[in-house]
Amino acid sequence: MFSISTFVDSFGPLLWAARFTLLISVLGIALGLVIGALICAAALSPVAGLRRFAALWVSFLRGVPLLVQLLLVYYLLPVIGINVPAMVAAVVTVGICASAYISEIWRGAIMALPRGQSEAAVAIGMGPGDIWSRIILPQAVTLSLPALVNELILLVKASSLVSVVGILEVTRASQAQAATTFRPLEVYLAAACIYLLINLCLAALGRLLEHRMSV
Amino acid sequence: MDPSIFLQYWPLLLRGFGLTILCWALGTVLGMALGLLIALARRYGPRPLGWLIQVYIEVIRGTPFLVQLFVLYYGGPLLGLRLDALPAGVLGLTVYGSPYFAEIFRSGFNAVPVGQLEAARAIGMPEPAIVRRILLPVGLVSALPALVNFSIILTKETVILSIITVPEIMYSVQRMSTETFRYLEANLVLALFFWGLVESISRFGRSLEARITQHLIERT
Amino acid sequence: MLSASSVEIRKVNKFYGPFHALKDVDLSVRPGEVTCLIGPSGSGKSTLLRCINFLEEYDSGEITVDGQLIGYLTPGGRKMPGRKLREMRRSIGMVFQQFNLWPHMTALQNVAEGLIRVRGLPKAEAEARAAEALNKVGLADKMANHPSRLSGGQQQRVAIARAIAMEPRLMLFDEPTSALDPELVGEVLAVMKTLASEGMTMVVVTHEMGFAAHVADRVAFMEKGELVGVDAPDRILHRPADPRIQAFLRTYHERNSF
Repeated sequence: MFSISTFVDSFGPLLWAARFTLLISVLGIALGLVIGALICAAALSPVAGLRRFAALWVSFLRGVPLLVQLLLVYYLLPVIGINVPAMVAAVVTVGICASAYISEIWRGAIMALPRGQSEAAVAIGMGPGDIWSRIILPQAVTLSLPALVNELILLVKASSLVSVVGILEVTRASQAQAATTFRPLEVYLAAACIYLLINLCLAALGRLLEHRMSV
Repeated sequence: MDPSIFLQYWPLLLRGFGLTILCWALGTVLGMALGLLIALARRYGPRPLGWLIQVYIEVIRGTPFLVQLFVLYYGGPLLGLRLDALPAGVLGLTVYGSPYFAEIFRSGFNAVPVGQLEAARAIGMPEPAIVRRILLPVGLVSALPALVNFSIILTKETVILSIITVPEIMYSVQRMSTETFRYLEANLVLALFFWGLVESISRFGRSLEARITQHLIERT
Repeated sequence: MLSASSVEIRKVNKFYGPFHALKDVDLSVRPGEVTCLIGPSGSGKSTLLRCINFLEEYDSGEITVDGQLIGYLTPGGRKMPGRKLREMRRSIGMVFQQFNLWPHMTALQNVAEGLIRVRGLPKAEAEARAAEALNKVGLADKMANHPSRLSGGQQQRVAIARAIAMEPRLMLFDEPTSALDPELVGEVLAVMKTLASEGMTMVVVTHEMGFAAHVADRVAFMEKGELVGVDAPDRILHRPADPRIQAFLRTYHERNSF
């Protein structure tokens, strides 16, 4: 029957591996935020070529499953002579994939702002630099926070896929645990609990932010 | 780059693609059905059921799809659930998609103007009829774009099934590459394949949406 | 009060694709004069107003403010560079139907922002002048409030304060009270009346016939992109010659008198 002791004992090694899950997710989203900002700027640029590039970037990274992207990078890097630790390659892949979604989140937030706000700024004679930095961006960033927290939750879940390229994190650790204890149900349920814990905390953070913003 | 391997392996790849479509179709339909049931149960069922449903939604949405598959496929036997890879995969997709579909239906139902439901109650329509004749049709239409969107997301999730050895397209491509050693090309083509597939389904979905809303506007 | 601006609109045309939105419009506004633009929706009143500060681009004709052409370097020539346009806009204030206050800033910050960013004043001085402007519109006690904590009428008054803090010589009002609950309209009209009495040149697109009748120096009626007639309020509102104006006022009276 269900072995409570195996379930409980799994938490030790899995929680230890959770640090890698968090590392991958946090670094991934940080990278995604930076690249996403650049792609968003390109998407909104008056230069048609930049817009096209941004559109292709978003379309490709959202159209190809992350698992395929991970394997593609895994096989591509040695061929073009880049030798980085698997963890680095994985974080970069996850970050680049996230950048497509983040760019769209920001683009949506910027376009959601009523036109009248920039019109009022234009009517006073404000220059485009000030309009962006004082009126549009502060609001767009705040508006996008709940969606960004949601994206982080998605990244935490997506990080489970890097187990496929051999990187140690919760899912990989749970596979190893399951192999030694021969009790996959208890171990994988423990893994699920850990992910759930992380994501419930993030979700609570997201709700807190949303609440703060609507006040 | 040797494209001939794709010609060589086309039966395997075609079968893989067929399974991808099968898993996706079954998972989507069953997931939507389950999601609809959940959404209705939440709306019309007793309070404690609503809490249970909320827990279900939070748990499924808070855990990775891969781990859910592991629990079902590898952990299932300990619960007496001995499934082959394919049925486990379809069950996994169904369960994974159900909370998202349930939330989409919930939004769709909430988007039905309260006035329309009140008007129906005011003329004495019984609740089940209101659901069938007003809530569902109107709610479904506003939920349609989100339903289509998520179905497209599910096509990408099917590749995760390859990890529990369901012989869909990704599994087949990996098998081909281990036999030909052309890992990079195989995965590159797989990536391009999915890009093309998702992009064209999205475009088709958008034009379908435009035509349906146009049709609805003309009718009213 | 600083010298007020004059506005000259000569043979202005504007197209939205094939749609002829403004047809050969001529209008003169003298310094210190209050001109109200009235007419049915879609008549082009707001479009014309927004052309005056070039928020909308007019396609032919001339609009000059204090004799200076706005939007173009020469009539029918190249467009004015952004910097020059911004400079001209500094002395033109605009009040929008939807207020367009910046929600992430307090009332004081909203009013001071233009003084800091556009006129380059140091923060302390900008906020002092902003406080003065807010006091003038009767909202000294609401300076620290965000727009979400203000009623519609208060928000619009903050918007007016934001515009007048820049010390404009011309004020444009685009249906300033149309988005307000009826009981809040009065407080905004009162502020506008004060501005008018101080000699500000004002062009006001409005449906408030009372304001037009009592405060305006001239009333201009527009329909389908044409300026049908412009005259003293008494003539346009009570003894209009043109049947189109008569028809418009008739439906207005039917809806509004009881």
